[in-house]
Amino acid sequence: MNREPLSVAHRLLDEQILDSEGRRCGRVDDIELRGNPPRVTALLVGEGLYPRRLPARLRGLARRLAGPERWGANALRIPWEEVDEIGASVVLRGKAEELGLGGGDNPERWLVRRLPWN
Amino acid sequence: MKSILKIALGIIAALGGFLDIGDIVFNTQAGALFRYDLLWAVALGTLGIAVYAEMCGRVAAVTGRPVFDVIRMRLGFGLGLAALIASTAVNLLTVAAELGGLAIVLQLLFDAEFSLFVVLAAIGLVIVVALLPFGGIERLFGYCGLLMIVFVATAINQGPDWGAVAHGFIPSFSSSTLYLYFVVGVFAAALMPYEVHFYSSGAVEEHWDESSLMENRLNAIIGYALGGVLACSLVVVSGYLFHPLGVDPADLGTAALPVQNAYGETGLLLALGGIMFCVGGAAVDSSFSASYNLAQFLGWEWGRYRGPKKAPRFTASWLVFLFLAMLVVLSGINPVEITEYSVVFAVVALPMTYLPVLLIAGDRSFMGDHANGPVSRTLGWAYFALILVLATAALPLLLATNGGGG
Amino acid sequence: MQSRRRRPGVAATAVALGVSLILLSGCGDLSRDELTRGVESIAALAAQGQLVANGVARDGTKSTYARVMAKTLGGEAEHEAEKLADAEPSPQVRPERNAAVQVATELAGLFSELQTFPGDEHHGALVEKHMGEVEAQAEALVERLGGDAG
Repeated sequence: MNREPLSVAHRLLDEQILDSEGRRCGRVDDIELRGNPPRVTALLVGEGLYPRRLPARLRGLARRLAGPERWGANALRIPWEEVDEIGASVVLRGKAEELGLGGGDNPERWLVRRLPWN
Repeated sequence: MKSILKIALGIIAALGGFLDIGDIVFNTQAGALFRYDLLWAVALGTLGIAVYAEMCGRVAAVTGRPVFDVIRMRLGFGLGLAALIASTAVNLLTVAAELGGLAIVLQLLFDAEFSLFVVLAAIGLVIVVALLPFGGIERLFGYCGLLMIVFVATAINQGPDWGAVAHGFIPSFSSSTLYLYFVVGVFAAALMPYEVHFYSSGAVEEHWDESSLMENRLNAIIGYALGGVLACSLVVVSGYLFHPLGVDPADLGTAALPVQNAYGETGLLLALGGIMFCVGGAAVDSSFSASYNLAQFLGWEWGRYRGPKKAPRFTASWLVFLFLAMLVVLSGINPVEITEYSVVFAVVALPMTYLPVLLIAGDRSFMGDHANGPVSRTLGWAYFALILVLATAALPLLLATNGGGG
Repeated sequence: MQSRRRRPGVAATAVALGVSLILLSGCGDLSRDELTRGVESIAALAAQGQLVANGVARDGTKSTYARVMAKTLGGEAEHEAEKLADAEPSPQVRPERNAAVQVATELAGLFSELQTFPGDEHHGALVEKHMGEVEAQAEALVERLGGDAG
């Protein structure tokens, strides 16, 4: 199951992502399609991808708020091979930290460490 | 046997948690202004929330998807974001209204500076939420909200013309814009969006699955129907006492006056206590809803059951929302006015959060055998049409009646 | 650029002036209908006040509740009095307007008393009785205003 057809791509977009431990770690914000006929090669996750999901007129404002796409920081690429199963959520084979996901809830992040209960 | 008891307790909690400040304000005013003539609108709204909540609960139980998961999936990022912004704004207004109402009740009981009670109320809610698990929070506010039954007792005690009361359940129309405004208001107060955001997320918090579908249905049918009785009793009690006197209940304390009149100090304390828990519970529910929606839309970890360490952004956002609501109340706007705005804007935003759920609930590829049957489908679509009409009429009526001022 | 901007500006100013003139002239005039509404709400406040006072009189209420309610309702009565006093009544209803202000002020005073003695049954009974009289006065005023129609 190296690549999946376009119809699956539509079903995948905007789905919740769970890691192998059942932790919620983002949603499928965009999909990478390669080849002819196009097939899904990766899931794309992160706030950096929000501007491209918005209508053209709002994109400028969104980019100023969300910042530019910084791959590895606010835009992450999850290769298709990492996907374990697709149900009400997309479940991944690995753990969130390994894939760089769920960073916002990561206890190591500086803001999260400053919260009173941490 | 254990499950019957559990279901019964769930229904009781749903009943006790049914009313919030919007219901109290609008139903009391409706009774005072129009006596029993708006009871049909209360009943219509009650049936509406029962239908909507049952669908949301069913979707969450079968698919594990609460409302804003459905919205993001069905509407996509752009439209979903619009729905999120609208819902968050409405929910924030609602939290402010409930928090303000809670402070008013505390002031009626303990008579000190209003702003002090606003801060104390907010702190109190944080403590309750921090100390109790999700189920405990719901049970606390739900069971104590049952004190509102004193309003039913008051209605019976007053001995109104039951024929006239029954007549109020027959829909009647008037060209009076004030009447129409209250039709929208009373209906909208019963169908506040945060209620279903909370209910569907709560289904996930309590790990509902297909075995919970019976509980879901009974909550909707029995729990909310009985809740509707409570809501109607507010109208009757106010209509009986205030309508002949021409009183316009412009403040929350007036809602308890009929109970004080009938039962003296004990009645008053029961009524104020009931209002306190209803409104306090609603403050928790609506603030949680704001956080649920945000976290679910963005894919964050969420839920009281995860705890603050595993869901830090969700928890932090909840505190921020509560704080912002507190600021709104402290700004000095009358909580009753905030309530009126929150209810009217809620119905305007309602179609956006209602339609995706309706579509998914009827979609067999998601729901399998549990997709909408003929009853849910008919009622679901009928209410959607009704909601569209009310959502369009709400703002013009608000302006035309000068905010219900007449 | 300048000349194209000027015309809409002038038109807008004229409209704004016209609208404000209409609004301002309307604001001043207290019509019979508005006055009747004002007096009716005074009567309603008095009725509500009686219920609160009655609770105090028979020791059937919490004093904090009575005090806060008296404060809120008293504020509304005062607000009504000020509103009526500030408005410019049409000449036929001037005497009724003055009477209404007096009634509203008296009512506000009664609420003040209730606020000061929210636990005192004797005072509560007195306030209740006086509020009943105020309510009757207000209702008589409404009759007068309705009767003088045309």
